[in-house]
Amino acid sequence: MRRIVSGMIYGLSGAVGVLAFLYPFFVPATAETARWVAHGQNAPLITAALVGLAVLALTIELQGQAISAKMVAMLGVLISITSVLRFIEVAIPMPGGFSPVFAPVILAGYVFGSRFGFLMGAFTLLVSGLITGGVGPWLPYQMFTAGWAGLTAGWISGGMEWLVHLMGRSGPHRSLRPDIAVLCVFGFVWGLLYGAIINVWFWPFAMGPAEQTWSPGIGLGETLARYGTFYLVTSLEWDMARAVGNGALILLLGAPVVRALTRFRRRFHFEVHADA
Amino acid sequence: MLDARVWLVWVLTTLVAASSARNPLYTVLLVLVTTVVGMVCASDDGPVGGPRAILSPLRFATIALPLSALFNALTVHVGDTVLFRLPGWLPLLSGPVTLEAFVFGAQNGLVLTVIFAGFAVFNQVTPLRDLVSLTPRAFHEAGVIISIALTFVPQTIRSLNRIRQAQAVRGYRMRGLRDWPPIVVPLLISGLERSMGLAEAMVARGYGAISDQVQSLRTSAGLVVGLLTLLGGWLTFLFRPAWREVGVGLMIGGGALIVAILWLAGRAVRHTVYRSRRWTVRDTLAIVGCGLTLAAVVLPSPLGRGTLYYSPYPRLTLPVFDPLVGLGLLGLLMPAVMITDKRGNK
Repeated sequence: MRRIVSGMIYGLSGAVGVLAFLYPFFVPATAETARWVAHGQNAPLITAALVGLAVLALTIELQGQAISAKMVAMLGVLISITSVLRFIEVAIPMPGGFSPVFAPVILAGYVFGSRFGFLMGAFTLLVSGLITGGVGPWLPYQMFTAGWAGLTAGWISGGMEWLVHLMGRSGPHRSLRPDIAVLCVFGFVWGLLYGAIINVWFWPFAMGPAEQTWSPGIGLGETLARYGTFYLVTSLEWDMARAVGNGALILLLGAPVVRALTRFRRRFHFEVHADA
Repeated sequence: MLDARVWLVWVLTTLVAASSARNPLYTVLLVLVTTVVGMVCASDDGPVGGPRAILSPLRFATIALPLSALFNALTVHVGDTVLFRLPGWLPLLSGPVTLEAFVFGAQNGLVLTVIFAGFAVFNQVTPLRDLVSLTPRAFHEAGVIISIALTFVPQTIRSLNRIRQAQAVRGYRMRGLRDWPPIVVPLLISGLERSMGLAEAMVARGYGAISDQVQSLRTSAGLVVGLLTLLGGWLTFLFRPAWREVGVGLMIGGGALIVAILWLAGRAVRHTVYRSRRWTVRDTLAIVGCGLTLAAVVLPSPLGRGTLYYSPYPRLTLPVFDPLVGLGLLGLLMPAVMITDKRGNK
C-alpha cells in the first residue's frame, strides 16, 4: 500500500510539473485561452506556483521516508562539492550552456538510487543558487528538472543490473564500461532535454516570427514544429555545449567516481545490530 | 536589519509587479525603485549580507536591453514605422525592421532587468543563515542537508585549493577537461571521508532517534488528494473555459491542502532557535508598503487597469501613466525608507 501511495505521489507531482511545462502543446483554441496567454502576465506566475507545489509535495514524500544520518551527511557534502563546481563555472565562463553540475547529479542518482538522485539534483541547484546569488523565478523549474535528471538516473541502475543479469555477466567485479556508455548517452540527452524543458516555461509568451511562436489552437503537430524551429534557432548550439560537456565529463570521471561512490555506499550501509 | 520574511515578500511583490505592469513608464519606475533599495540596503547589510551577484543589475541591463531589442526587431516584422528592410535571402530574419518591434523588445528587456534587480537585492541583503531559517519545519531534514552543504562550501573550496597545490607541486597542470580527474576524484573522496565523520558525530548526538521515523500513510494519502485536486483544477482551467472559476477553486484548494500538510507535518517537529529575531514595527511597515504595491497592480484604479498594459504595435504611441498606480509602486521603497530612518535615529 505504502509503495502504491508513494508511486502515486511521484506520478502526480511529475504530471503536474510536466503539464505546467508542456500545456501549450495540447491546450485547445478558445477566445478565453487566447486572451489569457496573450496577456501573459499571470500564466508564468501560475505555472511557477504549480511547479513549486509539485516540488514541495515530492520533497515532503521523499524526506518523510527514513533517512539515516549517514545519508544526510553524505548528501550534504556531495551537494556542497557539486555547488563548488558550479561556483567555478560561474567564475570562469565555460562554452555555451556547459555546466559541471549535471554529471555528479546523474552519477549519484545512478549509484544511490532515484530518491537520492532527486534530492541531490533539486538541492544542488538550490544551494548553488544561494551561494552564487542565482535565486530567481527560474529556480523552481531548475530544481524540478535537475531533480528529475537525478531521479531517472536511478532507473538506469536497475535497468542495467537487469540487462547484465539477463546476459549472464553479473557479479561484483563486472566491467563498468557498458554502464558508463549508457550514462554518457543519458547525460547527453539530459543536457539537451534540460534546455528544451526550461525554454518551454517562457516560450508561449515569447514574441517572434509566426513560424517560431505559439498561438492557441494550432494543434500538437504544428506546436511541436514551431517549438522545434524556435529551439533550433535560439538554443540548440547553447545546449549542445552542455550535452557534449555532460557526456565528456561522465566519460572522463564516470568510472572512478562510480567506483568511489559504490565503495562509500557499502561503508555507509554497514551497520552493527546488537542482539536482542 | 529587516526580517528575512520581509525581504521574501518584497522580492515576490517585485516579481508580481514586474510581471503585471507591462507599461515602460511603470517598468522604469520599478528599475529605479529596486536600484535605490539595492543601494541603500546593500550598503547597510553588506558586511553580513548574502552573496553578491556575479552581474550587477546595471551591467545586466546593458546586456539584456540591447540584446532583447535587437532580437525582437530582427525576428518580429510587425509595426508601421519601418526603419529598414532585410534582404529576402536571409532565412527567418528577412523583412521590414520596425521601430515598434525595437521598443517592444526593449520593454521586455526592462522587465527582465526589474526581475533580475529584485532578486539581486534579495540575494545581497539576506544572510544565508536567515534564508536557511526560512525552511519550513516539516523540511527539517532538507534544512539539515542544506545547512551541511552551505557549511561545507568554504571547507570544500579550501580542500580544492589544497589538492590543486599538491598536484601543482608534483608538476601537474590543469589545461582542459582531461585534467579534471586527478583533482575531482581526491576532492570527492576527501569530502566523503569528512561526511563519514560528520555522520558519526550526528549519530552520537542522537540524530537518528528522530530522523528514522517514517511519515504516516495518512500524510502521504493527503498529498495524493492535494496533487489530484491541483491537477484536476489545472486541467479544468485549461480545457473547460466555461468552468474556469471551478478550475481556479480546485487549484487553490489543492495547493492549500499541500501547504496544510506541510504545516501539519511541521507541527510534529520540535524547533529551537539559539537567538530568535523579534518582529519590529519597521518589518510591519515594509510589509504594508508591499501591500500597497500589490493593491496598485491587482485592484482596479479610477483610470482602469488598462494603463498597466502597453503595446507599441501597430504604431508607436506614448504610454499612459496613472499617478495612483505609480504611487502604489513606490510602496516597494519602504525597506529603504525604514533603513534610512533607523540610521537617522542612530
